[in-house]
Amino acid sequence: MNAPFFKFGLFGDDVSLIVAFVIGIGFGFFLERAGFGSARKLCAQFYFTDLAVFKVMFTAIITAMVGLFWLSWAGLVDLSLVYVSPTYLIPQTVGGLILGAGFVIGGYCPGTSCVAAATGKLDGFVYLGGIIVGIVVFGEVFPLLSGFYDSTAMGQITIPEYFGISYGIVVFLVVLVAIGGFAGGSWVEKKFAAKAKEAQS
Amino acid sequence: MKFSLSSLTLNQKLAIVVGVLGFLAVFAGSPYRGFTSKIDSQELASIVEKEIDHISPEELAGWIIAGNVDYRLVDLRKEKDFAEYHIPTAENILLPTLGDGQLERGEKIILYSVGGIHSAQAWFLLKANGYKGVYILRGGLEEWKDKVLFPRLADNASPQEVAAFEKSKLVSQFFGGTPQIGGTAVAATPTMALPKLEAPSGTQPKISGPKKKKEGC
Repeated sequence: MNAPFFKFGLFGDDVSLIVAFVIGIGFGFFLERAGFGSARKLCAQFYFTDLAVFKVMFTAIITAMVGLFWLSWAGLVDLSLVYVSPTYLIPQTVGGLILGAGFVIGGYCPGTSCVAAATGKLDGFVYLGGIIVGIVVFGEVFPLLSGFYDSTAMGQITIPEYFGISYGIVVFLVVLVAIGGFAGGSWVEKKFAAKAKEAQS
Repeated sequence: MKFSLSSLTLNQKLAIVVGVLGFLAVFAGSPYRGFTSKIDSQELASIVEKEIDHISPEELAGWIIAGNVDYRLVDLRKEKDFAEYHIPTAENILLPTLGDGQLERGEKIILYSVGGIHSAQAWFLLKANGYKGVYILRGGLEEWKDKVLFPRLADNASPQEVAAFEKSKLVSQFFGGTPQIGGTAVAATPTMALPKLEAPSGTQPKISGPKKKKEGC
């Protein structure tokens, strides 16, 4: 049996909702176990005193990347069927900055706010409420934004295709960046944590 | 200094594993599937043998009348022929562009061409590329004409055949065809002209296939 299972018809639309639910619960569980149900832990990221978010997310990225690469190389995954989101360079950059600003201000990102709410944290509920209000407002003003929303469309591109280098080289470079990032991250953490302690005392 | 694996922390071990996998990836080539693909000839042969790869014209006609949208009907003939006449709900995809991602591997795909040869070849191509639910319209457009558009009642038909003909007469008229009794057409016009592409009487199902779902997070 080859993956992606849904595209190969192992299960239909109905079952895919159940699968999505199970994966979602699993995702939330591991976010919580990584300590991401706490706004303090998440915000420490932006003050360089605790880079756990960076480490967990980057671990997920390289695990998925190396796994997908080798599984498809072995013929177990058909990568051409894996959905690649289309790139809209400027709108997505702006969107990322807005999400980042919201992350620092609110202390959560959308996924972790659900985790916080599920563990009963009041700020998590407030954050979720804000998300819903934001969705409604965005939906209502969308006609005004749609020109910008669809600008700088680049289609479904990937880094190897865009720069004309092999997938393997990109995989290796990202792995190097990750390992360097982990080592450097730990060093930065120690430095800033010491500074933060000094400032407190 | 003696080096031993046990002196490494778990993080360092993981870093080494992913580093090695990443380094080897440089030499592994493209992870995308090429133009070659493996087939299970035994499985394909048994499908052909059991004839479960066929849809009869009557069955398809029933689905169209019922307004089903859970299938993709693919007309493999040239654009010109397609423009002249095609079975309602069909879309025109030529053989060389079959694998270009217009069809999803999990969809129920019904192929037809003039006879059965082109659709059988397309069936094999799709099957070999991992498309699951691929079917051939039995007898192609020829049989569609014989069975659905211009059903014929023999002069010496049995009562059962007459009863069945009454039903196919309605189906034929739904698709704008002309039922035939013996040598003569039931309707006023005795010719066997293909119906025009206007919507036939009755409710016409939408021509477009199921809408593509938006994916991503």
